Amino acid sequence: MTHSLELELKQMIIDTLELEDVTPDDIDPDAPLFVEGLGLDSIDALELGLALQKHYGIKLDAESDDTRQHFASLNHLAALVEARRVK
Amino acid sequence: MTDTVQLPSAWRQVSLEAAFGWHLLPTPEAVTWQTFHGRIGAWQVLLGSLGEPGSNWLLHEHDPLEFAAALVAIWERGDCAWLPGDDRPGSLAPLASRTRARLGDIEQGYRPGMSHPPCWGEDFSPQRIALSLYTSGSTGQPQRIDKTFAQLQAELTMHADFWPLENRLVISQVSHQHIYGLLFAILRPLFEHAPIALTPCRYPERLNAILTHLSSSRTVRPSTAVLISAPPPLERLPTHLTWHDAARSLHRVHSSGAPLTTAASQHAFQLLNTPIQEIYGSSETGGIAWRDQQMEEVWCPFPGVEVHKDDTGLLYLRSPFLASNGWERQADRLRMVENGRFQLLGRADRIAKVGGKRLSLTAMDQSLATHPKVVFARTVELPDRRHRLGVIVQPTSDSLPHDHNARHALIGSLRAHLSSTYPSTVVPRYWRFVDDWPSNSQGKLTAPLIVRLFRDLDDTRLPRWLGSRFSSADHCDIQLEIPERLRYLRGHFPGNPVVPGVVIIQWVIALAHEEGLATGTFQRMERVRFMQLLLPGDRASLSLDKAETPSGLRLTFTLSGERGRHANGQIYLTPLEPGDDE
Repeated sequence: MTHSLELELKQMIIDTLELEDVTPDDIDPDAPLFVEGLGLDSIDALELGLALQKHYGIKLDAESDDTRQHFASLNHLAALVEARRVK
Repeated sequence: MTDTVQLPSAWRQVSLEAAFGWHLLPTPEAVTWQTFHGRIGAWQVLLGSLGEPGSNWLLHEHDPLEFAAALVAIWERGDCAWLPGDDRPGSLAPLASRTRARLGDIEQGYRPGMSHPPCWGEDFSPQRIALSLYTSGSTGQPQRIDKTFAQLQAELTMHADFWPLENRLVISQVSHQHIYGLLFAILRPLFEHAPIALTPCRYPERLNAILTHLSSSRTVRPSTAVLISAPPPLERLPTHLTWHDAARSLHRVHSSGAPLTTAASQHAFQLLNTPIQEIYGSSETGGIAWRDQQMEEVWCPFPGVEVHKDDTGLLYLRSPFLASNGWERQADRLRMVENGRFQLLGRADRIAKVGGKRLSLTAMDQSLATHPKVVFARTVELPDRRHRLGVIVQPTSDSLPHDHNARHALIGSLRAHLSSTYPSTVVPRYWRFVDDWPSNSQGKLTAPLIVRLFRDLDDTRLPRWLGSRFSSADHCDIQLEIPERLRYLRGHFPGNPVVPGVVIIQWVIALAHEEGLATGTFQRMERVRFMQLLLPGDRASLSLDKAETPSGLRLTFTLSGERGRHANGQIYLTPLEPGDDE
């Protein structure tokens, strides 16, 4: 993953979810985004899904296991964006 | 109930040479009832030039003499006064459009000219509405609360009987735009012919000087005073002043707006050596009960007020000070003790719906307060963010976070604490750490304060405001935090975000303006230095001092934080000419 995409995604997560106490440096690319790690929850997942659609044109099925996989860590998310982005 | 109200005879039938009030500093000077009558007449002339009788008037005026004169002039015409809770444009605008004109010391406010002999109108009907209060509670928009002359008369008569002023000087530290200050600092002295201290007395140094002066004065009669105060000034009475002489001239201290903590009651009693009598009530109900915590913690209903507990544990009451003769419910929980007295157990549970889940915000506050680093917490719903909660936390003084890492760690710890009981979707997302519990001059955390605490969420140009404290009219300390999402951080030094100096200057001017400390157009800066870099997540304290100099208003500022001083300097402003648009 490129450094700029990593930073861009971190910033997208912070801005979308209004994570006030988090800076890009606080997000470990390998750590889980949900529950432990960044502590995101199911409402955040919906918000992130919308943001991915808006920024990269990626449509996710919120119910599928794949989606959970994609949100496992920032690195997983970056891989998804690189593979499926249409903008 | 009688067909007329006694109240007008309080000002119509007086000894004109008697003191209506006293200017106390620099030298004592009595203001007679004759003078007061002249001011009533002046307001009558003004009102006569502005509209027909039968109008509603928006009235905001700090000067107690002018305020009282305006109120009497409005009533004698058969008109009604609408009292906004403060003078912020947002508080005035909704009233201004429905009143004849703005009166008093506010923007576009009319003030009268020369004194003039007054004229008295007809008797007042008890059911006539004397005034409408606009008080903003802790939630939502200001509520309009009408008071009839019958209600005012009933409460004034009860107090005159229960706690007679007996011609003592009435010194106020609270706003008379609210029911408590209106009754205790204006209408009670007016009704009982007790003189009013006309010198503003909000700060403890001034209060101390006036009381000390009173204890030795041969000029000012009476030489004893009743102090109308509230939790914020009483909690902050400084121990470095000598109160011994001052205390001798105090007969009684009243406090209302919010309950005093036991410690604050003790603190005030030790310094002032005077009974600290608290009043429990609301704008709607007027006075309900009183207590002196140095005697006992429970509340005792005022004569004529009946208090009960309903089957949901809430207080309900019947009172001659209410608009209706029936029973009204309050949002406070209580426990009855013997002889009709009661103990207050806090507000009824506040229930919110967050992300589709109903939960008690009160319970969440209590859960947070069990964390070892938390003194007090208040979870709040934010108007535009229905799916996430905000929370205001006062941590123990050694746990206050001063930088990004400390804040991140504290939030993590508090989130983990809540996650043992709550699903993560309802755990607050927006955290505000305060070192002093935010409250208005009545000691209440109001909706506008909550809005200000979270305003940086919607405007990423602003610092995060976490509280302001005035130690005198010219000096203010403001607690700030640098939001990680601050717009100005991006691109200044890529990879090393800092707050640019020019932004700090801009904030200083805007905050001085917002606090009402200094307004004007930027003229120049002097001796401005930037020392320690200000980083995202930093907490900083901005100290502002105002002075009037021959070359304009001088604002001296110091911005400091845990690592030392970030910036200091002087900014000169050219004051706006009256009539200039800001």
